[in-house]
Amino acid sequence: MADIQLSVRDLQKTFHPGLFEASIEVLKGLSFEVARGEIFGFLGPNGAGKTTTIKAITEIIYPDAGEITVCGLPHTALEAKKRIGFMSESPYVYRHLTGREYLRFSGELLGLDRSGIEDRISRVLEDVGMASRADRTMGTYSKGMLQRVALGQALLGEPELLILDEPMSGLDPVGRRDVRDIILTQAAAGVTIFFSTHIIPDVEMICDRVAIVVDGRVRAIGSVSDLVSDEPTSYEVAFVGALPSDLRTPLEAHHVAGGASWVRVGAENHDSLVQELGDRGATVVSLDPVRATLEDLLMRHYEETGS
Amino acid sequence: MRAVRAIAVNTFREAIRDRILYLFIGFAVVMVAGSKLFGMLTVGDETKIIKDIGLAAMQFFSMLIAVMMSMILISREVDSRTVFNILAKPVRRWQFIVGKYLGLVSIVAANLVLITFVLMLTVLVVAAELDLMLIFAAAMTMLEMLVLAAFATLFAVLTRPILGSLMTLAVFVVGHMSADLWLLTRQLPGALTRAVIAVVYYLLPNLERFNFRTEVVHDLSIPGAAVGWAVVYAFAFVVVALFLANLRFRGKDLK
Repeated sequence: MADIQLSVRDLQKTFHPGLFEASIEVLKGLSFEVARGEIFGFLGPNGAGKTTTIKAITEIIYPDAGEITVCGLPHTALEAKKRIGFMSESPYVYRHLTGREYLRFSGELLGLDRSGIEDRISRVLEDVGMASRADRTMGTYSKGMLQRVALGQALLGEPELLILDEPMSGLDPVGRRDVRDIILTQAAAGVTIFFSTHIIPDVEMICDRVAIVVDGRVRAIGSVSDLVSDEPTSYEVAFVGALPSDLRTPLEAHHVAGGASWVRVGAENHDSLVQELGDRGATVVSLDPVRATLEDLLMRHYEETGS
Repeated sequence: MRAVRAIAVNTFREAIRDRILYLFIGFAVVMVAGSKLFGMLTVGDETKIIKDIGLAAMQFFSMLIAVMMSMILISREVDSRTVFNILAKPVRRWQFIVGKYLGLVSIVAANLVLITFVLMLTVLVVAAELDLMLIFAAAMTMLEMLVLAAFATLFAVLTRPILGSLMTLAVFVVGHMSADLWLLTRQLPGALTRAVIAVVYYLLPNLERFNFRTEVVHDLSIPGAAVGWAVVYAFAFVVVALFLANLRFRGKDLK
């Protein structure tokens, strides 16, 4: 893969909560790469290791083993950190500051040029839709507003790599759409987006590629279409009449209502079922292929790992 | 240095928007301004009593502010996870520690400036005397607070907020009993006990080195060497305490 913006190799992390508590192995050799300009979804259930991975990338925790590079630089290098915009899982902000003061503080930490910092702040506030409320203290903000300001501080340094931890979690539909739009706008401007989520529709809607992380390891990685085959996994068949009790074809599910029947059958068996129904004089009304979804894939990995 | 300055300014701003700080400052100002009342009730030179009580109040309330603010210094950043957004930026952990320390120091300094002003004004009104040595005494108290704030920062990194504040308070109390501790090492039987007390004596700062209250109140001469050594002594403790704080914070996972 050309021009890697973020590379994580064999990342391992075990937490040791206390003397008399068992250690928790959170990351078990996690690896993936994110190419320049792509929107990369990091999908997994709670406790899979998503936030721990992000904390390791942003140097909030220290991995036990593994290697992380950002734009080809070690992730601990200040030059690498300058290229990252980060928004943490919940909007952790200073409630005593106004939105504008918080962005100014963030700009100082980023070392932005003082002469242009106010203009830059105003532009970012416009981008995240907070310009009219920027001079109110953040203690008075709603969660959606806090999320926007937090996103603003991540965008302030014009990052090459935007790392967002559950950016749409807890937002109402309008807030989710707005954050999604901001992500798409940034991606269109060439920014690489890495975001973690457990909300499948978000991934399906905007991600170029996705990694499914379960139990501290990447279980699958690729585009949504690569991961989820176009081949049907089963068929839904509707026909007029009662469900014959002596069908030889194994059914996955069935339902009878108002003189019609509905059955689901494995893809490999749908031909034999239609043949069998024809032989018994039943009129098949519809035959619909059912394709696996990302959710099915995710559930399969959860079941395999007992998550 | 910009990151350090930004963190210090933000810490200062956070503190001055906290109502509890004003409660302490209010108490301190009332105490200093009300020292005239103590002067009237006590036998002796009223002006000297005002200065003595004023300087004692200045030291006590500065210590109280340092201890209280140390409780929220780092723990609030970590518990509210605002520290995540700082450390994900091009900021080193030592810069965070030094920034928080300088923020705490600036809060104490602002308080000291205010109390010194009120004390000088009280003396001016009562005795028609502009005593510039009160500024010197305040500067020495500031040196003491630099040391105490460094220990507060170290304890804030090492332990939980309340325990950290109690430990800072303990440094203040023991630091003013250093001379007694030294005497104890000579008086006590048992080599082990003497050794333990000697270790405590050398590990903790002797805060009496910064106490020039008697000299200022009674217009006694102050040896320049004592002042010079106090400055060196303070900065040595500050550097060591902040170095240890950084050492602990540098490899710490923040959850």
